Amino acid sequence: MASSVPILAARGVSKAFFGNPVLRSVSISLEPGRVHALLGENGAGKSTLINLLSGALRPDSGTIEIDGKAVSRHSPPEARRAGIAVVQQELSLTNSLSIAENIGLGAYPRRFGLVDYPALAARAKAACDLVGLHEPLSTPVGELSLGRRQMVEIAKALYRKPRVLILDEPTSSLSATETRILTTLLEKLRSEGIAILYISHRLDEVMQLCQHVTVLKDGICTADRPLEGVNAAGLVRLMVGRDPGDLFPRWDSTRTERVAVSVSRFAAGLMRDVDLEVRAGEVVGIGGLVGQGQEDLLLGLYGAIPAKAASAVINDAAGLPANVPQANTRGLAYVPADRKREGLHLIHPIVTNLMLPAFARMPALKLRSRARERETAMGLALQFAIKGDLGRAAQALSGGNQQKVALAKWMPLDPAVLLLNDPTRGVDVETKREIYAMLRAFAAAGKAVVLLSSDTPELVHLCDRVAVVREGRVVTLLERGELSEEAIVAAAMGAEPVRAAA
Amino acid sequence: MSDASISPHACSGSLYWAIQAKRNIGVRGLFVVVLAFMVAYGFLFHGLFTGSGFAKFTQSWFPLALVAMAQAILMLTGGISLAIGALVSLGAVIAATTMTGPLGVAGGTALVCLVGLGIGAATGVIVVRLRLPAIVVTLAGSFIIAGAALLVLPRPGGAMPPWLSDLLAGNTPAAFGVLVVVVLLWKLYLATPLGLSLYAAGENPVGAYRSGVPVDAARIAAYAISGLLCTGAGLFVAAQTGSGDPIIGNSFTLNSIAAAVLGGIGFLGGQGTMRGALAGSLLLSLMISVMFFLGFTPVAQYVAQGLIIIGAVAIPQFRMRAR
Repeated sequence: MASSVPILAARGVSKAFFGNPVLRSVSISLEPGRVHALLGENGAGKSTLINLLSGALRPDSGTIEIDGKAVSRHSPPEARRAGIAVVQQELSLTNSLSIAENIGLGAYPRRFGLVDYPALAARAKAACDLVGLHEPLSTPVGELSLGRRQMVEIAKALYRKPRVLILDEPTSSLSATETRILTTLLEKLRSEGIAILYISHRLDEVMQLCQHVTVLKDGICTADRPLEGVNAAGLVRLMVGRDPGDLFPRWDSTRTERVAVSVSRFAAGLMRDVDLEVRAGEVVGIGGLVGQGQEDLLLGLYGAIPAKAASAVINDAAGLPANVPQANTRGLAYVPADRKREGLHLIHPIVTNLMLPAFARMPALKLRSRARERETAMGLALQFAIKGDLGRAAQALSGGNQQKVALAKWMPLDPAVLLLNDPTRGVDVETKREIYAMLRAFAAAGKAVVLLSSDTPELVHLCDRVAVVREGRVVTLLERGELSEEAIVAAAMGAEPVRAAA
Repeated sequence: MSDASISPHACSGSLYWAIQAKRNIGVRGLFVVVLAFMVAYGFLFHGLFTGSGFAKFTQSWFPLALVAMAQAILMLTGGISLAIGALVSLGAVIAATTMTGPLGVAGGTALVCLVGLGIGAATGVIVVRLRLPAIVVTLAGSFIIAGAALLVLPRPGGAMPPWLSDLLAGNTPAAFGVLVVVVLLWKLYLATPLGLSLYAAGENPVGAYRSGVPVDAARIAAYAISGLLCTGAGLFVAAQTGSGDPIIGNSFTLNSIAAAVLGGIGFLGGQGTMRGALAGSLLLSLMISVMFFLGFTPVAQYVAQGLIIIGAVAIPQFRMRAR
C-alpha cells in the first residue's frame, strides 16, 4: 500500500466553541490511495474536524498541513485550490438549476465570459458517468429524489478533480444499488491515488471499504490504526465508554402498573409501525443516531404533526390528540430540543415565558392577575433553581437556565406525561446534573417521562427502558438490565442482528 | 445502462437549449392563460392586430414589463424592493429636465442609466454587506429617492424632445423592439457565471458560498441591474407623457410585485423564471385593458385584480400540496 507524505493532515488540532472544547489535540493524516474512516458518536467532534480540514473553521491550536507543509491561513478557497473536495451532509445544491449547472457551480468553464455549455456538458457528463447518474443533464435538481441529489453532490465534488475527497455520511440517503455504485467508485478513486476520508455510521460499509480508521470520542482521538484485525464490536467499544462519574442520580425503579401511553402500529413523519407502552412512574428513553425519526415520534404523540395508530390510549382516553391544545388538556407536555426557536420567546421576560402555557388555558378575555402570575413564576423559579430577575428577557439566561424555564413552564399544568426532546443539548454539566435529578423526581412523582436523547450515557443511566430507533422504526427495546452504551450504539448502527421490538 | 447514456457530442450542443426548454414547464399554464386573455382582448379590440394598435398596446405594457423584471431579479436573490416606483419617478424627472438641455438625449439617457445603476448598487451594498433586511432598506430608500425626485422637479413639468416621444410612444413598435433587446441582454447575462449564480445565491446561499460562488457580488449586481431597469422605465414614461412628474411612478411598486407573483416568482429566492415574470406583467396589462373594455368600474377592476392575484398564487400552492 502506498505509504507516503499525506496530502492533507491535521497535527494536534484543538477547537472550542464558547469555552466548550470540542476537539482536543487531534491528529489525522489522509494519505494518497487510502480510504480513511472517521468514526464517532453524535457530538464526538467529527463535523468540527471536517470543517477544520476543509478550511471552513480555523483551529485554536495545532496546524493543518497540505503536502507536508503547514498552511497558516486555511480557508475554503485555499482548500479548493489544493484539491480538497467535501461532500457535505446537508446538500449544497440549488433546486431550480439543472444537474449540469449544479455540478459546475462556482467553477464553470468559460468562453468569452459566458458559461461554456458544451464544455460544461462534457465535463459534467464525465462526472455523472462515474457515479452512475443517467438522468438528462438538463433535469432540474428539484425533481430528483434525495438519493439522486446526493449522487449529484458527489459528482459535483468529482467534477473538480479532487486529490482529497471528504465524504460526510454519503450513504445515509442512498439506496442499496447507489451505495454499491459508490463503493465501486471509491475503490477506483483510491487506486488512482486519491486520498479519501469516509464518515459513516454503517459499520459494515466501513469494514468493507476502508483501510485505516480514526475514532473520536468526546473530542479525543481514541484510535488511529489500520482496520486490519479490528471487528465491529471492537470499533463500537472504541467509540463509547465514558466514565459517568457522579453526573447521574442513583435511583430505584418507580415504575407502576398504570399505563400512561400505549400505541400500536403508530406512524408519524418518518416513523412507522411503532408499538410502544409507557407506564406512569418510568423514564423511557428514545435513542439512535440523529435524524432517524425520533423527533417525529414525540411530535406525533403530541399532536403537533399528523399521526396515525391502529390503537392508542393516552391517560385512559382512547385516540391520539389531534392538536397541541388537546394534547395539553389530556396531560401531555412537550419540551423541544431547539429551545431558542421552539421552546422560548427569547425577547420576552422570563415570567411571561413561564406563564405561556397557562395563558393558553385561560378564557380569552379574562383579566390577567399580575400578582398571581408573579407568585406562580417565583414558585417555579424556586423549584427549578432558575437564577436571576424574572423580569429580564429570557435571552439573558444561560443555556442551562433557559432549558429549565422551557421545562418549568409546563409544571402549572401538572402534565402526566412529559415528552422531552434532547433536554440537555448544549447545557452545562451542573445544570445537566440538576435536570437528571428532576427527571427521576418526576418519575418518582408518578409522571411518565419520554426522554429523547442524542447522548447515550444519559439513556443508559436514567432510563427504565430504551427504545432504539433506526430508519424510522423501533429496532430494539432494551430493559434496564440490558442497558449499556455498547448495546445502544450497536443497535443504532445495526451492528447486531435486529431483534423484534417488544 | 448504455441505452440511457447519450453520446457526449450529441448532448453537449443541446444542453443549453434542453435546460431552457425545461424551464418552460413551470410557466406553461401561465402562457395559456396569457394567450386566452390576448385572444379575448383581440376580440374586444379589433385594432390590436393593426400596426399602431399593437404599438399602443406594447407601449402600455412596456414600463410594467421593465419593473416586473426589476422586481423579479431581486426576488430571485431572496430580496424585494419597495423603491421601484420612486426610482421610476426619479428616472422620469431626470429625463424630462436634461434631455432638452445642454446634455441632450444621449447625455440625458446616460445620466438616467448611471443614476439607476448607482442607486441600485448602493442599495445592494447596504442590504448585502450590512446584512439588513431588503424590505426595510428599500422602504427607507423609497422615501429618500422620492424626495430626490421632488428636488429635481417639484411639480410636473420639464419637457422631452418631441421626436423621442414620437419614436418611443408613437405609432411604431419601437418600445417592443427595445423590450426584445432588453430580454436578449438578460439572456446573455444569465449565461454568464455571475448571472447564473443568481439562482444559487438566492435559493441556497450557504451551499453556493461553499461551492465558490461570489454570492455577495451576484446579489449586489442584481440590485444594480434592477435600479437600471427602473430608471429606464422612468425615461420611457416621461417620453410617453412628454414631460416629467415626480410622483408618476408610485403605482409601479406594488404592480411590479403583483406581476412577479403572477409570473410565479417566489418570495424565498431562487424560485421562478424571468419569462414567467414577463408573462405575469403581460397578463396584468391585459387584465387591466380587458376589464376597461368590458366597462368595469375602477373599483371592480381593483377587486378583480386582487382576486386574480390571490388565485394565481394559491393554485400552484394547492397543486403542490396535493402531490
